[in-house]
This record gives sequence, C-alpha cells and structure tokens, in this order.
Amino acid sequence: MAKNLRTKGSKFIDETTRVCFKFNGNKYFGFKGDTLASALLANNIHLVGRSFKYHRPRGIMTAGSEEPNAIVQINDNTAFTEPNVRATEIEIYEGLEATSQNCWPSVNFDIGGINNFLSPILPAGFYYKTFMWPASFWLKYEYFIRRSAGLGKSPKFPDPDIYEHKYIHCDVLVVGGGISGIMAAKISAKRGLKTLLVDENPNIGGSTIFQNSKYYKINNLTSSSWLENEIKEINKLENLTIKTRTSIAAFHGYNFLLARENLTDHLSANEKKNKVRQRLLKIRAKKVITATGSLERPLVFNNNDRPGIMLSSALKKYADFFGVACGEQNVLFTNNDTAYETAISLDQKGIKVNAIIDIRENSNSELSKEVEAIGIKIYRSSTVVDTYGYKRIKKISVMQLSTDGQSVKGQKIFINCDCLGIAGGWTPAVHLFTQSGGKLDFNEEDQIFLPKIYPSKQISIGSCNGDFELDKIINNTLKILKEFLEIDETEYDNIDVSGTRNLNKRNIWLLPSDKILGKTKPFVDYQNDATAKDIKLALREGFRSIEHVKRYTTTGMGTDQGKLGNMHALGIIADTAGVKMSELGTTTFRPPYTPLSFGTIVGRNVGEFFDIFRKTPMNDWHVKNKSKFENVGQWKRAWYYPNGNESMHEAVQRESKAARESAGILDASTLGKIDIQGTDASEFLNRLYTNSWTKLDIGKCRYGLMLNEDGMVYDDGVTTRLDKNHFIMTTTTGGAANVLAKLEDYLQTEWPELDVYLTSVTDHYATISVCGPNSKKIVSKVIPNLDLSEDNLPHMSFKNTTIDNIKCRVMRISFTGEQSYEINIQANYGISLWEKIMESGKEFNITPYGTETMHLLRAEKGFIIVGQDTDATLTPIDLQMDWIVGKKKYDFIGKRSLYRSDTIRDDRKQLVGLLTDDPKEVLEEGAQIVANLNKKPIEMLGHVTSSYYSPNLNKSIALAVVRGGKNMLGQKLFIPMENKSIIVTIVDPVFLDKENNRLNA
Amino acid sequence: MFLINCPFCGEREQSEFKAGGEAHISRPKQPTELSDDEWAEYLFMRKNIKGIQFERWNHSHGCRKWFNIARDTSNDQIKAVYKMGQKPPVI
Amino acid sequence: MLNYNSPLVKENSYSELSMKVINPIMKLIIRGKKREFLSGVGKAINMILPTESCTSSTSNDTTALWLSPDEWMILSNNVIDKNTNSYEQENHLINNISKINLGAVVDVTDQYVLINIEGKKIFDLLSTGCPFNFNDFRNKKGGVIQSLMAKIDIIVHHKEINNVNLLVRRSFSEHLYSFLSDAASRI
Repeated sequence: MAKNLRTKGSKFIDETTRVCFKFNGNKYFGFKGDTLASALLANNIHLVGRSFKYHRPRGIMTAGSEEPNAIVQINDNTAFTEPNVRATEIEIYEGLEATSQNCWPSVNFDIGGINNFLSPILPAGFYYKTFMWPASFWLKYEYFIRRSAGLGKSPKFPDPDIYEHKYIHCDVLVVGGGISGIMAAKISAKRGLKTLLVDENPNIGGSTIFQNSKYYKINNLTSSSWLENEIKEINKLENLTIKTRTSIAAFHGYNFLLARENLTDHLSANEKKNKVRQRLLKIRAKKVITATGSLERPLVFNNNDRPGIMLSSALKKYADFFGVACGEQNVLFTNNDTAYETAISLDQKGIKVNAIIDIRENSNSELSKEVEAIGIKIYRSSTVVDTYGYKRIKKISVMQLSTDGQSVKGQKIFINCDCLGIAGGWTPAVHLFTQSGGKLDFNEEDQIFLPKIYPSKQISIGSCNGDFELDKIINNTLKILKEFLEIDETEYDNIDVSGTRNLNKRNIWLLPSDKILGKTKPFVDYQNDATAKDIKLALREGFRSIEHVKRYTTTGMGTDQGKLGNMHALGIIADTAGVKMSELGTTTFRPPYTPLSFGTIVGRNVGEFFDIFRKTPMNDWHVKNKSKFENVGQWKRAWYYPNGNESMHEAVQRESKAARESAGILDASTLGKIDIQGTDASEFLNRLYTNSWTKLDIGKCRYGLMLNEDGMVYDDGVTTRLDKNHFIMTTTTGGAANVLAKLEDYLQTEWPELDVYLTSVTDHYATISVCGPNSKKIVSKVIPNLDLSEDNLPHMSFKNTTIDNIKCRVMRISFTGEQSYEINIQANYGISLWEKIMESGKEFNITPYGTETMHLLRAEKGFIIVGQDTDATLTPIDLQMDWIVGKKKYDFIGKRSLYRSDTIRDDRKQLVGLLTDDPKEVLEEGAQIVANLNKKPIEMLGHVTSSYYSPNLNKSIALAVVRGGKNMLGQKLFIPMENKSIIVTIVDPVFLDKENNRLNA
Repeated sequence: MFLINCPFCGEREQSEFKAGGEAHISRPKQPTELSDDEWAEYLFMRKNIKGIQFERWNHSHGCRKWFNIARDTSNDQIKAVYKMGQKPPVI
Repeated sequence: MLNYNSPLVKENSYSELSMKVINPIMKLIIRGKKREFLSGVGKAINMILPTESCTSSTSNDTTALWLSPDEWMILSNNVIDKNTNSYEQENHLINNISKINLGAVVDVTDQYVLINIEGKKIFDLLSTGCPFNFNDFRNKKGGVIQSLMAKIDIIVHHKEINNVNLLVRRSFSEHLYSFLSDAASRI
C-alpha cells in the first residue's frame, strides 16, 4: 500500500517541503508543487471516484483541466467545502482534506456499483423512458433518483470567502502560456503593447517546459532549456502582466472575456486568511491571441475506463514534471508516435514499459527506432480488445486488427500491466474560439476541427491551430503574429529549430473487439458514462442532429463538457450514419470552459452589497425613531413607526387617524423631481401630459397624467410653474429615471426644435409633507415670515421663502385630501428642518407616518397609485379620470390611442370602489372578482388593487378594476377565497370628503 | 457585451447604454388624421430583421444623448454609429 | 438655526490610497446650445467652458466639467459657507443665461456628493467596479467621464495626477462609499 512511486528529483517539485493531506480520511504525504492527483499517484492510488451512472470505479485519467473522472469534494462538512474539484488541478497544501464523490458508503465499496451489473437495462434515455409513466409517480421516482445521482454535495453553510471582480483593459491578451503563447507575449509587449498573458496552471511553459527530448532543439538547446531562458526574459518586460492560475471561463463578442484568477486555493488555511480567494476578471482586449494548446484523445475500446488507464501524455507529465511513476508495469496503446515519446521519457526515468500496442501497420520514425532499440516490445496492427481488473487494471488482451480496422483476427494475447497509457492523437482546444462565435473547418488529414473564420480581432496559434510539431509551431506562430500584429520582424526571426516528423497516423474512432458491441463497454464520455453503444442506439432510434444525440445520451455534458470524448462521439456518429465529419459539425461549446463557483460569479455583490440602496436625507431620523422600512425601487422608505409593541395594523390605524384629526408628517423625498427650463417648456408639458398647461399661472401647481403612445397611464405627479419658462415636475418614486429618459427621448428625437432643458434634481431636495387640520399652525410656527393665508397661498400654489436664511419652497399640494404643505429644502438641511417641524408640532401631537399610512389615506380619497392600481393596461378613461383628458387639445402623447377600437370598448376593466357587506372584512389585494359562482369555468371580472381598513370611516374599503365596472354602481359581486366567498358592492372610488372640504379646513 | 462608440463620448461598454428599438420611425405629425390601422402600424409594427438593422441607443449612464447605430443582428457587429437626424448610411 | 448635515462624514486611508468626502462644494448644472450661451457663461463666471468632450477647465475659484454637448457642471474649487444656499456665481449665471433665455442654470449642490480620492492606486480601486478603460485617462489630468461604479452612476474628474474627484448622487453615496472603502481595504 504505502509504496513510493517518486522517481528521482524533479525541479518543478520542492522535495524539501513535505505536505500532509488527507484523502478519504487517510493521511498521505506529498511535496509542495504536487497536485492532488500527482500526490495520490505517488502514493500508488488510482481509484478516486465512481462513475455517474454505473458507479464504476474510476481513476485519474489526465494531468489537466480536462479531467473527467478524478473529481473530488474538498474539505467536506466545512463552510469552505467545494464539490467537483479536479484532483488534477488542485494543488495540495497542509491540511487539505479531499473525499471521493458519487459513492456510498465508500469509494471501495459502493452500493451504486450494482448499476454496473444492471447496465444492460440502463441504456441511453433510460430515465426518460422509464420514469415518465404514470406521470403521478414522478415525485416518488425523483426522490430516489436525486439521492443516487449528482456529483458531489453542495455546501450547507454560507461561503465565508471573499471574491472580487476586476475590469482589465489591454491591447493584447494572450491565452495560454505554452511555447507559442510565451513567444506571442514577448513579441507583443516588446512593441509597447499593453499585454496580458494568462495560464490556468501554476507555472507557464506548457508541455515544452518539461520536454527534454533530444529530437527537439531550439538554437541548439533542448526546447525546455531554451524556454526557461525566455520565461526569465519576459518576466522583466514592463508592458507584460502574467497571471497564472487564471483560466478563461468565457470568450464573448467584442473581445470581452471572463477569467477566474485563483489566488488562494493552493494555500493552507492560515496563509489564505483574509485574502481574496478568487477574482473574476472582466477583460476587454483590443486583440486576443489564443494559444490554448491541444488535448490528447483517448482511444475508444472495450472497458477503456478502469483505474490505471490514463492518457499517454499524462503518464509523461507525471514522470517528467512531477517525478511520479503512474505504474510499475506500464503498457502504452497508441495510434501515433507520441506514445513513443512517452515510452522514451519513462525509460529515462527508470520506469518500466512492458509493451506498446500500435494500431498502425508500421512507423519508421526515429522515435520508433529508439524504442525498439531500448527493447520495448511493439505489437503493430493490433488493438486492445479488453481490459481486466476491477479497482485497478491488471491485464489487457490484445488481438490483430483486420486491414479495414473494423474487426479483429488471430490469437488473443494477454499482457500484464498496472497502468495503460492511451494515445489517440490530439484535439486542438478550440472551445474559446467557438464561444466567441468563430466558425470551424474540418481537417481531414488530422481529423480535427480548426479555426477558420474569426468573428473579432483574434487569432489562434500553436497546437490549438493544428500545428503539432515544434518547428511547425514556431514558424507558423511567427508568420501568423507578423500579420496579426502588423509587424515586419520579430526577435525570433533567426531561430534555429529542429524537430522530428510524426506523419504516420491511423484513426479508428471505435476500435473493434472480439465481442459484439452489445456485450462491450467502450466509453466515449467517461463522466457521463456514455458508451459507443448508447450513441449507436440513439441513431437507431432516429436521432440525427448531433445536438439531439448529445442530449439523449448526455455525451459531452457534465463538468468537463466532453473535453476528451466529443470527437469520438462525432466520429462514431459520422461512421454509423455514413456522413462526413465536416457535414456533421460539432455541438456548441458553451461557457464556462471550466466550472466557476457561484462566489466568483457574484463577487462582492453579497450581503450589504447585494442590491443598491438609496437613502433620503431624513433616513437617520427614521432609524433613530424605530421606523420599519420598505424597499420602494432602490429606496429605503419609512413604512410605519410602531410605538412600543404595536403591530403594523395598529401603527397604521393610529398614524392615519392622527393625520386626519390633527397633523401628520411624511418624508416624500423619494419622489422624482425634474427641473424643466426653456422658452418652450409649457408647450413641452402640453405635449407630454393629457391636460393643458399653457394657461397655468406662475406660482401655481397642477396634477398631470402621462401616457404612453399606446394610451396607457405611465406616470403621474404634480408640476409647478416657478417662472414663465421654468417648471419643476414631480414623478412617482419608481418612475423617476424612466420618465426623465422618456422626456429626453422626445426632446432629442421627435421635437428637437423645442427650447427645453431637463435636469434631475431628485437628490438635491429633501421633501417634507405636513398634513392635517393643524398643519397650517405648525408651518406658521416654522416659517413665521410666510403669509399662509388662502389668498397668498391657496391650494395648488407655491411660494419661495427662507427658513433661517436658507432658501426653500413651500407648496400647497395634497395626496391625502387634507390641508397639506410640502416643503422642499436643500437636502443637507432636511433633517434639521424635519426636527424643527417635529418640535413645533409637538403641541399638536404631530405624528410621523410612513408609506403604508400614505397609501391608506389616499385610498380613502380614491387617488390612484400608478403601478399599484394601474398596470400598463389602463387608460385614463378606464380610471374614470376623463376630467384630466384635454379633449380640445390637438395632440399629446397617447391621445390617438384613446379612440382606437380597442380602447373605446365599454367592457374594458375600469377602476371602481368596493365595499364589503361586512365592514370588518378586509379584502386581499390581488383577489379575483366574479359575478356568478355557479357558471363554470368561473369568469373573472377583475381584481382588487388596493385594500385597507379605514379608521376614519370605520370600515373596510378597496379599489379594484372590474370589467365594465363603470356602469355597475351598486351591483353586488363575489370575491371567492379559500374557505368562503366575500360579498362586495361596487361604489364610487372616492370614499371620503367628496366635496374636498378638508383641503381648506 | 458590445463596445459602442458613443458619437459624443467615444467607445464605452454596453452597460452604460440603453437600447431604444428600431430607428427612423417618426412620430406622425398629425395622429388624429390617421386610421386605426395606420396608427397601429406606427405604434406596434417593427421589422426585427436578421442582418443590418438600424437602431436607437441612448448613452443613459454617460452624456444621456440618443443616437443611431447600424447593427448586424446575425453577429452583433456594429457597422456604423450616427447622430440623431442624420440619414442611415448605405451598408 | 437650521443645521447643515453632511450626507456622509467619511475619511479613510489605506496604503497609497485615501478617500474623503468634501463639502459643501457649490455645484451647478448649466445647459445651453447657442453660441451666446457660451459667451454668456464666460461673462458671468469669467472662464471658458470646455467644449471638447470628456474634458474640464479650471479658473482660480471654479471648475467646469463637460458632461454632454449641451451640459456642464460648475464646481467651486473650495468649500463654501454652510449657513447659506445663495451663491454669487449662480446669481451671475441666472442673470446672464436663464433670465435672457440662453439656457438653463440649476443648483445641484446637494444633488451630488463629492468624494476626493488620492494616491497611486486610484484606478486599481475604480477597476473593481467601473467598466471604463482608464489606461489613457490616468496619464493626463483634466479628463472627465461619466460611467458606472458598482452599478451606480458616477462622474470622475481627473483633477491632478493621483488625485480624482468622484461625484455621485446623494442618495447613492452611502452605498457607493462603503463599496469603495471595502474594495480599498484589500488593495
């Protein structure tokens, strides 16, 4: 068990720093620089998880972000837990605890493993087909399926980490720090371009940085030594920023990219304290150079998923970079020469390679000759037909391939191994390119999709552009960059590169076995347990589009989005259906390239920053006086002010009575205020509002209703004429920004000839409304120098005045039906004036009231609230507000729509008042109104829009919209509730003081 | 997320702007003269084509000015930006 | 006496970064399109309005920020008296502009809160929530832009190198200030 598979030292690993971590409860050691995967492999652990559907034992397959199998839960049962972490990416740190996912009770004994034996009855679409019927059983099925499905556990506690967003603008973004990315970054930065290089790994250098092969030389150095020098140089460049552990999640249009910069995931709990964990970088680049490299393909053959079966390139990386042998008896299985590189590398490290199985008839490359010279047995024109070993591969069986590659022949040979490296060629990582809207082209020779049409200023270089040999990579990269960056020469123009050519390739998407396909398990998508059989079944059942096959078989879904198996799925479909790959196309690669945690996506928009809040100038007073708050748009508004243990109902009843019987005070600062100036200001208002404005005298106020062009009520408010060419308009709290935008729209686009200027002054003023029979006495105490007589300041007029040398405006406008004074003063004096009024009003028991009481008081008067009693389907006629529509006016916004065939119907929903037969019964807002309870289906006539218990009338009142309600005065209707029907009578919507006597009381 | 070249402020992120629908639909000068159908044509009917579309945009979080753009709706490329009152460019 | 209440009483210092709310500063919005408007403003406050987009101009006591082709903000360079809200320059402008129908003059002194930010890390701070590309802006003083910070409208005036005035609407100022100080604490 505690075998150490470390080979002699690697310079990328700090063997002086031992790191202790736990996997499935057991303690292990690794070194600083190890990933969880390399540390586990060094401890001879391959089995790390169970597959999604069949719960088959699975091991580490890769050495990078494309890993489909080795995904683990980190720090389970803590607030810091994270599911679906790729063991191949997470760097170990002191105290790391990782556990296997998707297995119970343990990865070694998993009850779900029984699915593996049931697999003949669990084909593609099994869940779709089986659990649909009977429909009512779904809830029962779901309970069991949910328990046995799923990858990892979501955290139970709030995420304690800090995440941030950051905008970055650069001239050139280079994605991928392999050899071509490093060259591109240097060329770009040296030309004065602000350059950003990102790489998902902890170090840049890609696969070249551990390439010590004698076949690849640059300027007579091994490619790795040459690249090391380059990295030292670019680290000194001023215009270049290098961000490692940073992966691009999404590549959107206009070169807008999202990246996750991982700052602390590799640090121990102590080291990461109080640091930002991850940053979401919002990158805007003038030009993007994609150098994302390529991913090695597996081979699809029977039982190709056992722990110990890995990509050949991963074996090489674990040996050369991490200094870890993945097995002691290795076998390689390949369709190209790269496995021979792996064999030589392993041999140099003293790791035993038993054999190479090669599906090609021959290979005469230098590499193959060297392997033969070492004495490794090569089986040519052969394929692995089966593998053995449940929790770790033990043995493979091999047979000869027929000439057409579709069947096997000859004697079956058995070869022992504890690790099988598979090499199926390379797939360029074009994910980001296609995300950005790029179009691909299929290359028949290499059987790969390559970038063809670029939708923005971007280019692909290196192996993601289909160049796989070192000399081709370098020469093509230079050629492409010269054109892309519009330069004549680069610092690499005299570079001397030598490489070896691997031209001999043979591609078979689905390798044959001696058993028929129905009896084999050739996995195409490891994470989703989709096999070649499933794909063929989907085709047999009539699925043709690649997108449909994907959804039916789940191939290419999951956290790895099919990075390994997608090409095989396409190949098998193309072969089976007899179509060309180029015609078939690919499924869409969707962002994110690798999963992002929610924390990264939301950044600092949590807790107090979850949503923007706006506060009025008097906010501190409301807080101090224990107001309850309500969110209105983004505003925090005082809702009601409970006295001691008062309930909301009790507080509102008290506040409402006080406002009508003596005096109330309201913070109305949230109402939108727009300053309107210009010689055409009154003409402008005339065109905006339904009523006439030209004759409004200076110093007077008027209520206005604003429509959309479709004739529906949009906003309302009082506008005051301050001077001949100067008005101030108030809007609803929620509508302020939209009204201003609408007004600007008309001024700039429809009526540019009008001399009018609009300026928002909402935040400049504190607005305090004092109402009630004693309001005049209070205001006269506060502003003794102002004549409050009816002659000087009648209802719907205003006066400029000063309070203690501070200029302010006093308006006689009322939303409660009481005599009211609205004082507008510069915001920074607001709280002081409020306190002064409270002090002066003490003897009259002045009572602060909030939005709830305001709503109740206006409902008693039948005043509408736009957005509560209206919903963009009501005209002023529907609201019984015909009086405000200037019929003689030639035009105003929405006028023409008021006599469209639809808006003149009598049976439109119209605003009415409702009284309940039982005066104590308060209706629910939103409740439906019907006339006939027996007719089925029940016909809905309308609904309740506002409803309150009025303490001033001692009964329940409501406003409602009812179809044809205007002509139904006195009619009884029903409001069916859960356990009863409430009888209501339609009445006039004005419940209190129809004669408006209280305004001037 | 587009980058839009505001004719007054220069190139800015899309988040600073608000879209205002199809451009070059003028409000009729004499709405009262129009039939229901003609008014409905102005009020409701929009082309929403695939290809070059002329649109109104407002730099709502910047200079608050309205302007027009010519956008290819199939790939979101903005082919031209021009001020209110100017004729649409030939593309 | 009515007391003056600052919307925010805030001052914070971090490494290579400090933020401070400054008030009261007189702030006016002036708007106009005609040529006479520009000369009228020049006469009233003895300075030339910047007509190039996203720029500013400054005299001894006043700064003018370009906001739009027909809109400017006029700021006093120094704090003003808290016990009055009647400003000499506003009156001059009203008499020379709005009274003779050349444009509009609007007092917005309390509409905006002015946050002064100093230090080398100003633009690192702004990049945590503002999509604007400050790469060129940071190298020359006098620039003015309107954009969003943490989804809140802001005006940024590059007063001096390593010194920026940020203007935000009063009701949003508390939220924005705490967002900024939170971000600044980690820079």
